[in-house]
Amino acid sequence: MSALEIELAEERVLLLPQKALFWPRERMLLIADIHFGKAASFRALGIPVPRGTTTENLASLDALIAAYGVQHIVFLGDFLHAKAAHASSTLRAMLAWRARHLQLRLTLVRGNHDRHAGDPSEQLRIEMVDEPHTIGPFSFCHHPDLPAPGYVLAGHVHPVYRLSSGWESLRLPCFVFGERRAILPSFGAFTGGHVIAPLPGERIFVTAEELIFPIEIR
Amino acid sequence: MSKAAAAQQVDDWFARRAWKVFPFQRAVWKAAVAGESGLLHATTGSGKTFAVWFAALQRAMRTQKGRRKAGLRVLWITPMRALAADTLRALQESASELVPGWTVDARTGDTSSAARARQARHLPDTLITTPESLTLMLSKADAREQFNMLDMVIIDEWHELMGNKRGVQTQLALARLRQWNPALVVWGLSATLGNLERARHVLLGAEAGGVIVEGAIRKSLLVDTLIPENPSRFPWAGHLGIQMLQPVIEEIEQHATTLVFCNTRSQAELWYQHLLDARPDWAGIIALHHGSLDKEVRDWVELGLKKGQLKAVVCTSSLDLGVDFLPVERVLQIGSAKGIARLLQRAGRSGHAPGRVSRVTLVPTHTLELLEAAGAIQAVKDRDIEARPVAEKPLDVLVQHLVTIALGGGFRSEELLAEVRTAWSYRNLTDEEWQWALDFVARGGQSLTVYPEYRRVLPDEEGVYRVPDAAIGRRHRMGIGTIVSEAMIQVKYMSGGRLGTVEEGFISRLNKGDHFLFGGRILEFVRVHEMTAYVRRATGAKGAVPRWQGGKMPLSSELAHAALEQMRLATEGIYKGPEMRAIRPLLEVQQRWSSLPTPVSTVVESLHSREGHHLFIYPFAGRAVHIGLASLFAYRVGRARPTTFSIAVNDYGFELLAPESVAWPDVFSALEGRDVGLFSTEHLLEDVLASLNATELSQRRFREIARIAGLIFQGYPGQPKSNRQLQASSSLFFEVFRKHDAGNLLLTQAQREVLEQELELNRLRATLTELQSRRVSYHETARATPFGFALMVERFREKLTTEKLSDRVARVLRELEKAAGP
Repeated sequence: MSALEIELAEERVLLLPQKALFWPRERMLLIADIHFGKAASFRALGIPVPRGTTTENLASLDALIAAYGVQHIVFLGDFLHAKAAHASSTLRAMLAWRARHLQLRLTLVRGNHDRHAGDPSEQLRIEMVDEPHTIGPFSFCHHPDLPAPGYVLAGHVHPVYRLSSGWESLRLPCFVFGERRAILPSFGAFTGGHVIAPLPGERIFVTAEELIFPIEIR
Repeated sequence: MSKAAAAQQVDDWFARRAWKVFPFQRAVWKAAVAGESGLLHATTGSGKTFAVWFAALQRAMRTQKGRRKAGLRVLWITPMRALAADTLRALQESASELVPGWTVDARTGDTSSAARARQARHLPDTLITTPESLTLMLSKADAREQFNMLDMVIIDEWHELMGNKRGVQTQLALARLRQWNPALVVWGLSATLGNLERARHVLLGAEAGGVIVEGAIRKSLLVDTLIPENPSRFPWAGHLGIQMLQPVIEEIEQHATTLVFCNTRSQAELWYQHLLDARPDWAGIIALHHGSLDKEVRDWVELGLKKGQLKAVVCTSSLDLGVDFLPVERVLQIGSAKGIARLLQRAGRSGHAPGRVSRVTLVPTHTLELLEAAGAIQAVKDRDIEARPVAEKPLDVLVQHLVTIALGGGFRSEELLAEVRTAWSYRNLTDEEWQWALDFVARGGQSLTVYPEYRRVLPDEEGVYRVPDAAIGRRHRMGIGTIVSEAMIQVKYMSGGRLGTVEEGFISRLNKGDHFLFGGRILEFVRVHEMTAYVRRATGAKGAVPRWQGGKMPLSSELAHAALEQMRLATEGIYKGPEMRAIRPLLEVQQRWSSLPTPVSTVVESLHSREGHHLFIYPFAGRAVHIGLASLFAYRVGRARPTTFSIAVNDYGFELLAPESVAWPDVFSALEGRDVGLFSTEHLLEDVLASLNATELSQRRFREIARIAGLIFQGYPGQPKSNRQLQASSSLFFEVFRKHDAGNLLLTQAQREVLEQELELNRLRATLTELQSRRVSYHETARATPFGFALMVERFREKLTTEKLSDRVARVLRELEKAAGP
């Protein structure tokens, strides 16, 4: 897995192919749209989704925490998918995970799904904030186009870039960087994507398995 | 009323109209009155409808004693909603005259909710409906009572249903109805097929008998070709298009009404535009008809056809089926018809007036299509018609059916299993597969896992599986059916008028202000909002043409073999008919530089050019098989020595292009196909799976399966998705299943469908066996042969834009013409 270093608001940050952003100065990991409990919500509505997506999400976080010495995770909204995400099995897994990372600081910027789902259990010890939540030069948001004092880092869109050549066409989760805001790809193991058309002046970085690379936009 | 009296009344009814009763009609009446089921095959417009309808009426007249109990007696299933209204008119008159008080009504997705409510209180004696609406009726809690008077079921256009999942859905519904009434009489109507026995089995159930009745009158049929004035010796797909415009215009001019069939919607859009450009005076009297246009537009065109107000309609398979348009005198087929059955179907759209001949004229867009034309004419003469394959136990349809039946009164596992196995497609369903499907709907997955929050179908205390949650039931009913289309976006004028629908993928590539061709108009794209693309009229400049999925059908084996046979004759110097005479110069160059592929000889050519090292092979097995073969050969050759190949295919053959030289002379050193290692059928499945990106193909296939199995909720019709919590794409499901439930049988089904339907694995195996039986004719050529040239152009096509394509093609053409001499 190779990360890509870029400069953002005069800060050095790493774009990770695991669809997250790492801010080394603060040892802070930014995660957008993880949608815990989405599979459980589907099952509650009679749609069979196999078990394992929550565990997969937590394992991915574990790997990143270990690899980068993460001290603080900021979730950019949509931490829980729906009310059914409070299901005991999902919560049990998350509490066990929390117990493995007692020192880790967690912050959740509430997103639209969080508002419907309700705040996560207090036992998870997550600091709850509303957007925009500004630290240093950055304003952490869920919705990308909110007026904010800092450079906005947001989620919500689940951006995917369609890379086509001839008859081949690939949909790849991507980071979108504009002049005033960046949109992160969705992190969740059971979340989809929305194909975006980059605006003039925007930079796109697509993730493809263990690689991340910039896209030339003409 | 006695049998004889009923028959007499029907005879009188015909006599009053001075209509003759055909022997096949009488044969159907006799069998049906005796309680036999069966299949009637005949051409359209030959009196099929009355054959089965008067059988139903005679059965009704017999049981008529005093006051009849109200209830549904006859179900008439049609694959097309549009047909329902016309069938209704055709049946109503005779019914009211022969059986006083007999009611006929229609119910389809278009039926208003008020009419549905009325029908729910009091069903008509005869109901005309679609497979989807029938399944919907089976999902009602009182389904059994609704059908308890049912005496006869008629399936119209069975050939159209039996080959797809709608046909499987129909089989399951029939199994249910037969379970309730074992004496139920079922009749299917079908066009002529290569596998009629199979068609009867599939219709009547795995173990049922039944008769086949052949419609006696064979309308006379003529197939011919518009011969291009200057058929090029170096053909490429589409090159003759514009050259053929003038002859097509002349044909249209000479006849009252002409249908111009195109193979794809994009091709139809282009031809319509070309015709209008050439004949602006035809605006308003020629029209365009394809499946993506708004229903109102299509209705307008169909009405214009019926009334004889239209000079020509450029159309796609959207007009293959349906009511007969009497005024149609002429049918033109642009490009290859791809199959004999399809050609016959289209020919049958003309010449409905008495004494007229059904005639279809092929318009080649490619010189090699002249070969197909010559082959097609012979195959039609020999009645060599394709068979329809039938799906084997698709589990997505079964999963949907389980929920439907759980809603429609509930089921016990062993009873429903026995019933489902009477449907032909599920005759070999194993206990394990059944248990898997049941667990999937009842437990949400693997039988050993417990998902406490999951509930869709649950057994009650008595072991009867039901749907406990009304909301799940509502959602399921909304999603009944097996017709799955790409996410479609409505196309609307800014001012509000609806134009039709286009695939989301096409719209997503457009920028504001871009022009595109749709519904015969050049439109300017403005914006997308809530699954609607807003456009305005544009003037002047040309536009992009939307590409719709499912455009490219492979050439059928029957047609391919017929074309090969024509070439065998050519090797003996026999050029029969105007088509073969027109293509003779091309075939002579091909013979001079290489040789002709025939039923006994496979032509292999290698060529070194600035582009690299080319290999051309012409098995004539259709594009799907050629994709499989090309990838397979590339994989098998590459295993010995890693090489990267570019691949090009068409219906006649394929090309492998490698940057460095490959030892092709060694690979094809044998004179007999059986000695060529590449043609081996050993480890075929493993090699095919390894050679293609099977995962990606399966993922695409999974879209349809996920939708049918009820994983994806499409939302309420005409409304943007309201249930935001339930949004997930099929590719997401595919990934999650692969990671966390790899044994999921729906994944297995996706892979099987790719192999069987997209890559046509069976045909691929048969092709390899054929290649083994043929001689190998290997040639090293100095330049591309006419057959090879067509393939090279296919490859340019994939790499370059249209303008560069035409420039490049023109240059290569000049070089080749020079080399071929005068």
